[in-house]
Amino acid sequence: MSDKLQEMPGVKRHHDGIEKEAGSRTSPFMPMFEFFRNELDEHHDRRERIIKASRDITAASKKIIFSLQRVRSLKGTIPPKIAAETQERAAAMQQQFLSIAPDLAGINAWRYQRQISGGIQEYMEAISFEHYLRHQKLISIEEAAASLPANVDLTADDYVLGIFDLVGELMRFAITTMATTGSLPGSKNDEDPAQDRDILVDLRSLRTSFEALDTASCGGTGLGKDVEKKMEVMKTCVEKVETAVYGMIIRGRERPKGWVPDLADDRAPVESF
Amino acid sequence: MANPPGMIDPRIFESLQSKIDEDAEVRDQIREVLQSLDRQGRTAQSILSRAHSTPAAHLQAVIQSAEAAIKDEVESIGKLANITSNSPYYKYNNMWTRDVQNVVFSVLFCGWLGGVGESGVATEPGKLFTIEEVGKILNVPVNLKDRDAFHITIEEYLQSLITLIEELSRLAINSVTLGDYQRPLQISQFVKDIHAGFQILNLKNDSLRRRSDSIKYNVKKIEDIVYDLSLRNLVPKAEPTAP
Repeated sequence: MSDKLQEMPGVKRHHDGIEKEAGSRTSPFMPMFEFFRNELDEHHDRRERIIKASRDITAASKKIIFSLQRVRSLKGTIPPKIAAETQERAAAMQQQFLSIAPDLAGINAWRYQRQISGGIQEYMEAISFEHYLRHQKLISIEEAAASLPANVDLTADDYVLGIFDLVGELMRFAITTMATTGSLPGSKNDEDPAQDRDILVDLRSLRTSFEALDTASCGGTGLGKDVEKKMEVMKTCVEKVETAVYGMIIRGRERPKGWVPDLADDRAPVESF
Repeated sequence: MANPPGMIDPRIFESLQSKIDEDAEVRDQIREVLQSLDRQGRTAQSILSRAHSTPAAHLQAVIQSAEAAIKDEVESIGKLANITSNSPYYKYNNMWTRDVQNVVFSVLFCGWLGGVGESGVATEPGKLFTIEEVGKILNVPVNLKDRDAFHITIEEYLQSLITLIEELSRLAINSVTLGDYQRPLQISQFVKDIHAGFQILNLKNDSLRRRSDSIKYNVKKIEDIVYDLSLRNLVPKAEPTAP
């Protein structure tokens, strides 16, 4: 059998390749592919570390947001128990960011943008919510970027998408506070009462700003892909607070204390993206 | 619009808008170059397609036209590298990666046929250009890690290599039709060598993995051709000069 095979002229080794060598011939391209293998392995390892960190950061951010939702006043100090909780989580989150900062250095910042983006958006949501509770202001992109370790970039897209989600948190905060305290959260300006602001004013100014933002040029890439859906959710959130305030004014006194609007269905669309 | 004492500093959304606008402008510029690169890619590939109906002895004319077409592509790649020099490479990479893969494939195929001279790299029929040689021909860096600039990635090179294999398996069939029984053997060895290389890569479940799964079918297709030839005693004897 093997004799027959050898007589057959078609056995693979019989041709005039330059690199021809009888018997156990290895591919001349092996060194090249070994190099590629090492490079690709490094890339996949980096990618996986980033995905994992992004997931952990997302989870920590969500927990921070849950804790912060127990705050009941604006521009006041955050109760020490809640502050301690969030600080602990924020510190852990910083560690996560630091651990992947080398993986996101230089040219790799954008290479793994899609992997880290989810974590950063959730992080944006958490720190912008905390910033709002403390100062009743929208955190700027520079302030937010400064809170991240060097090497971890905050893209404009992630910033905007995080702020879209902030509206959902503000809606929950406003409605829960209204239900438990019977009044809309806001702040008084002692010097100029005309500048008193409540959360509904803020939500409306967010909505106006978002609506004015022209993202048509983004097309199906980056921001353009998610904005449409988030815009709808954002508007719904603002309208919910408007309706709740209307309800509070019209029927507020008739409602039993502690009544909470049914939020069960609202949770999903706000959180899913 | 919110006033400064309000919740939102108006500068926040102003700067966001200008960032979005800048981004759109870069995209527009890239799209413009890609339009010509796309057309040049079609031209180069249609020229190279003639290799399927041209006997090896008359390939020179095909190679020369292909080289001219590749030269145009190199120019467009240079433009692309230029307009994206101020942007992060990976931010827009997905816009052009397909077109770049097409160019790299044209270079690889033309190189395998023995072409792409005058670019400072050694040429020879049956040759596989390394990623570095491709970079030299296209006049751009490859596999950049230490700085953020336009370059050819390993993934792009490998994608083009898979396209080359698909093209060569077609060429193996058409060579037989042209009465060239030698070339399928050469292709068979070449493709097997590349296949062996792909097998040591640890590919994740991405597009490279899916496409590389198809290599084995091409290997088999080419082996079947070699089998058909050898069964009928059509395989040329090894050249006497070979040891």
